[in-house]
Amino acid sequence: MSALGIISNANLNGGQKLAVKYFTVSLALFGAQVLFGLLAGIQYLNPDFLFGILDFSVNRMVHINAMVVWLLFGFIGSVYWLLEDESGTPVVGLGLGNLNFWIFTLAVVVVVLVYLLIQVGPGELKSIWLINEGREYIEAPRWADIGIVVCVLIFFFNVAATFMKGRFTGIAGVLVLDLVALAGLYLAGMWYTPNISMDQHWWWWVIHLWVEATWEVLVGCLMAYGLIKTMGVRRKIVETWLYIEVALMFGSGILGLGHHYFWIGTPEYWLTIGGFFSALEPIPLVAMVVHAVFDAGYHKLKSSNTPALAWIIGQAFGNFFGAGVWGFMHTLPQINLYTHGTQWTASHGHLAFFGAYVTMILAFFYLAIQKWRGNVWMGSNLVGSWKWKWSMFLLWTGMIAMTMALLISGYEQSQIERAIGGSDWVAYFAAQEHPWFVQGMVWRMIGGWTFAAGFVLLAWDLMTIGKRETRPALVVDAESH
Amino acid sequence: MIVEPVALANFFTVFFSAAMVILTGAVYALLFAYSRLRQRARLMPLAYVAYLGLSVSVYTLAQAANLFNDTFWTFIVGLMLLGYFAAPHVVWHLCVATHDQESVDGHKPHDEGNPSFIRP
Repeated sequence: MSALGIISNANLNGGQKLAVKYFTVSLALFGAQVLFGLLAGIQYLNPDFLFGILDFSVNRMVHINAMVVWLLFGFIGSVYWLLEDESGTPVVGLGLGNLNFWIFTLAVVVVVLVYLLIQVGPGELKSIWLINEGREYIEAPRWADIGIVVCVLIFFFNVAATFMKGRFTGIAGVLVLDLVALAGLYLAGMWYTPNISMDQHWWWWVIHLWVEATWEVLVGCLMAYGLIKTMGVRRKIVETWLYIEVALMFGSGILGLGHHYFWIGTPEYWLTIGGFFSALEPIPLVAMVVHAVFDAGYHKLKSSNTPALAWIIGQAFGNFFGAGVWGFMHTLPQINLYTHGTQWTASHGHLAFFGAYVTMILAFFYLAIQKWRGNVWMGSNLVGSWKWKWSMFLLWTGMIAMTMALLISGYEQSQIERAIGGSDWVAYFAAQEHPWFVQGMVWRMIGGWTFAAGFVLLAWDLMTIGKRETRPALVVDAESH
Repeated sequence: MIVEPVALANFFTVFFSAAMVILTGAVYALLFAYSRLRQRARLMPLAYVAYLGLSVSVYTLAQAANLFNDTFWTFIVGLMLLGYFAAPHVVWHLCVATHDQESVDGHKPHDEGNPSFIRP
């Protein structure tokens, strides 16, 4: 191990060395997401901006695709980070895992370059395979889709084989099963059919089930590991609650898919299924407040890594408000008829993704940098702690501003375009030009710039935090008691 | 099952009452847990006041979203009230049970508010 405060790969095990590569690309793609989001936001206010050079449709696509991929890189990196520590044995097939990383990264670069270089053209079978599959949010061409599945399967092999060889913990069991679903469900997004209802039916398997089932379970596993590491919570308790959480999530999350099937031409019984689960889905989330209070009282929030813990706490709040409050406000079919696909959805999507996933990956970034610098002190009164506090403040402020602004625009859209105008083309433009919509977009832009400032500070902080520290980290790991 | 769309005049009521269902539910859960954790019985009535607020929010939502016009949706309203009421109790029992097991395993609790000694 090298000196405290100095970044050195000697401080990391094999899996962690691979993890920091994933984290680095993940952070870069996070930056790309912010940049293309800003460009798309400017184009909402000035439609001529970069018109014909970098169209809104492309900026929006790269903004969302970058988010999906950076979160995926973050999740994969986080799992590699904990793998050797959790299993007690070196990663099996680490060389293959490293090769996989470079192929995956190269494929992402090629896909983005193709997006930017071929922005318009005919949509045919060749373009589905080579340029753009055309499905919103999962536009990656078919070759890249297959590549993603192969990469996730290699990742699965690394994880499953390592746990099989070493210690197979409760976290390991949930993680391994979840990765099967992570690779398998993505296949549903490649199903080609000319029937738009069937196409949407399968598309939602990726958009909803990937995100609200497999990603949520993955975050549950990361949270379990994070709580053991940052707060010293006992493994037995964490794993018991992980099982409870997975049961609740699968109980309500899988058929919660029904609220996406309301208006795509699926049979009427989906209104019953979707309505039932939409109404009851937030109950476990609310009930978990009891668990949070219980654990906070028990452990008194003593932590070895304050920034990571702050982001983990942020995850609890962000998930509650973004997924719970913002979701339930417009999920019943009686109101969803008017809000579906408006800026309401964008408002919910921004806060839910940030709250549920971004926060957790940022917590892992801080866990990683702590160990990369030789397990340096990152508790309270950390030298230069203003940077992580201000970046957190700016990121949250920017996100809340964007969420509220989009909420106002979406509210106006659901009334003017949907309820009054009847969703026709004229009504669409009437809503887009309404002062409330435009003002919402102006405020969203201000929120976007604030968020971007928070991102720059975050990147700077991740490069420098712990550099001037000479104290070793506080030990709170339960397993070291 | 009938889905009767929300009237334009009721949009805000639906959004606001739906948000209040979740928020009052969280306040109920928070006060319920804190009251038991710190053994402050005087907070428990406040928890049930929050639950009352939740019930009013559910009723307002049901009225504004036309949920009482159909048996299925009326049943869902009943389930929501029952679910939000019972869930904090169930989770509390689970918390106590898991931490009791921790004490049996020989791990010593480290603060005076240790919930493993608290019985529901």
